[in-house]
Amino acid sequence: MIKVREISKSFGNIKALKPVSFKINRGEIFGLLGPNGAGKSTTINILNTLLEPDNGEVIIDGINLKDYKSDCKLIIGVVPQEIALYEDLSAYDNLMFWGSLYHIPKAILKSKANNVLEMLGLSDRKNDSIKSYSGGMKRRINLASSILHNPKILLMDEPTVGVDPQSRNHIFEVIEKLNKEGMTIIYTTHYMEEAERLCNTIAIIDTGNIVAQGTLKELRETSGAKDLLTIKLADLNTTTISNIKSSLPSFTLDSNFNTLKVECANISNEILIVINHIQNAGGVIESIDTQIANLESIFLKLTGKQLRD
Amino acid sequence: MYKLFKKDLKLFFKDKRSVLLTFLLPIILISLFAFAFGAIGGSKGSSNPVELLLVDSDQTIASKELVANLDSLKGLKIIPSDLSMAKKLVIKGKYAGALILHKGFEDSIETGNDIPMELWYDKARDMEIGMLQPVLTSTLMASIGKKIVQKNIESYLQNNFPNIDKSISDKILSDAINKDNNTSAFSLSSSIKLTSIVGEKKETNLGIIQAVAGTAILMLLFSVAGLGTSILEEKENGTINRLLYSPLNSSIILYGKMLFTFFIAILQLTTMFLFSWLAFKLDLTVNIPALVLMIIATGFAVSSFGIFLAAISKTRQQAQSLSTLIILIMSAIGGSMIPLFVMPAIMQKIAIFSINYWGIQGFYDIFWRALPLADILPRILVLLGIGIFMTLLSIRLFQKNVLKLI
Repeated sequence: MIKVREISKSFGNIKALKPVSFKINRGEIFGLLGPNGAGKSTTINILNTLLEPDNGEVIIDGINLKDYKSDCKLIIGVVPQEIALYEDLSAYDNLMFWGSLYHIPKAILKSKANNVLEMLGLSDRKNDSIKSYSGGMKRRINLASSILHNPKILLMDEPTVGVDPQSRNHIFEVIEKLNKEGMTIIYTTHYMEEAERLCNTIAIIDTGNIVAQGTLKELRETSGAKDLLTIKLADLNTTTISNIKSSLPSFTLDSNFNTLKVECANISNEILIVINHIQNAGGVIESIDTQIANLESIFLKLTGKQLRD
Repeated sequence: MYKLFKKDLKLFFKDKRSVLLTFLLPIILISLFAFAFGAIGGSKGSSNPVELLLVDSDQTIASKELVANLDSLKGLKIIPSDLSMAKKLVIKGKYAGALILHKGFEDSIETGNDIPMELWYDKARDMEIGMLQPVLTSTLMASIGKKIVQKNIESYLQNNFPNIDKSISDKILSDAINKDNNTSAFSLSSSIKLTSIVGEKKETNLGIIQAVAGTAILMLLFSVAGLGTSILEEKENGTINRLLYSPLNSSIILYGKMLFTFFIAILQLTTMFLFSWLAFKLDLTVNIPALVLMIIATGFAVSSFGIFLAAISKTRQQAQSLSTLIILIMSAIGGSMIPLFVMPAIMQKIAIFSINYWGIQGFYDIFWRALPLADILPRILVLLGIGIFMTLLSIRLFQKNVLKLI
């Protein structure tokens, strides 16, 4: 549905986006994961027509975005990173205003606004001014304002920044519902849990480059990130270590804490084997901690830095 | 305590806006007011000459001599004119007054009759005329005073004492001419007929027109500047980007803002004039088409100015500082704070660079000078021109400054 071909963007001497390409299928939730300043918002701003790329092109449903901006705008919804609402207006008035920009007939718009408010759990507060809302409630209206015109594509730029768990769940549920109804969603975040929960496909972006993209499984394979088993032993002497080494060739040892760290391709398949090896080598296990390879570890493997750096 | 003081001082000087408002703005305003009141700008109290129209309908030796004497005065600049042009120029407010030497001027001096001399003036400019009168009187005294007094006394003695001894009559004449200058000057002063040709029949107080027009435009500038800078507020809180995500294009967003600002400007001006009608009995019916057009033109120029301010600024704070500075300066030179006619000529010339000038003078044309629409039209066109120019500039700058993402 969306083809991004070799787009780049510079601001003065700063190369915000080096040539970047990716493809998003219809009905997909596509995650753009990267730290602050990685180029996520620049990509979103090119997709929402606010910025023009220096090079490259964006094709939506076979149409070049650059040539048909107005047509494309009608099928795109944008949830901006900031809470872009009129604070002195009520939630309902905000929705009516933002919806009216898409030429939706008033009667339909009214019904849409009420439905969206219901879906986001804010019907009872619809006539209160936005300034009286909590940060999470504002975020929900920020989302609601972007979906009134039933966009085919929804661009969400870090929509959960500073949101309480209740609002976050509401937002996730709405995203999943919209996606089930067929909406294609592009979701930028630096929260890996969000990308893991929501996205079918993820592109990891860093310093203006897409360093990897694919499903979570594909990313794990590409990056070589593995699950981690952390085992604390009761007593660790040199004989035991030597015995474990002979049967478990790959592990790291923190002798200060009597701890072994073992990387596994699939922790659920390998955990019993590892435990048996240690016990057979004379080791007494005090505790076991498992850590599944996640986006954090994948990002670390791919870029050599923490996601929140 | 010293640390707190030092910290606040540091913060204060880091805030360029505060520094600007605290020091630069008062300095500029003091300078402008000083110019306006004529305290500076001339050497040792001298100021620019007062311009006076002069119509010499007599065209005799005596009238020409008087014109030459008046023209030689340093504080007075004589502008020769004819009757109809002089009247037109005074009514239009181009000159404070016109001295008319009617036919029979020289004959009246010879015969000792009342001198057919008249000073047409704009009642709004009483102050200027008040300053002009002593100058005129003393020049008249120097030119024709002695002759008039001599003729008057000779005529009086001849009528009342036909057999008086010549030596006695000469003594009386000599004493009267040499010792009674004050009385002569007074009689000459009163011989100039003062005729107000502007505002004489108006029931409306001049002060009300000045207060309404001057204050209305000053306040209008402040309110539209605030409305204009709301674009920058929208930029800061992200709503302008959200507007740009929609099918609207950037020009439509700007036009929408301009329409709103223009509407509020019209509403504010209309409300102020309606209030003046209710509270001060300002007659709004004097020239309704001209009033409507002036309100529209002023509203358009002022609202364009508000948008222009937003377009040239990068932040709201910058726009606020800039608007305070520009509005106060424009209002000071344009006649919102001090009536233009009490300002020196140089200030009156500078005034044309302010929106206030064109607006206030337009309302003067309607309410005070009672000019027909055709005569007010040039001011309306200037205001519309200012509006169009600033709008075009704003569209260009808006793209460059306001829509710039990074």
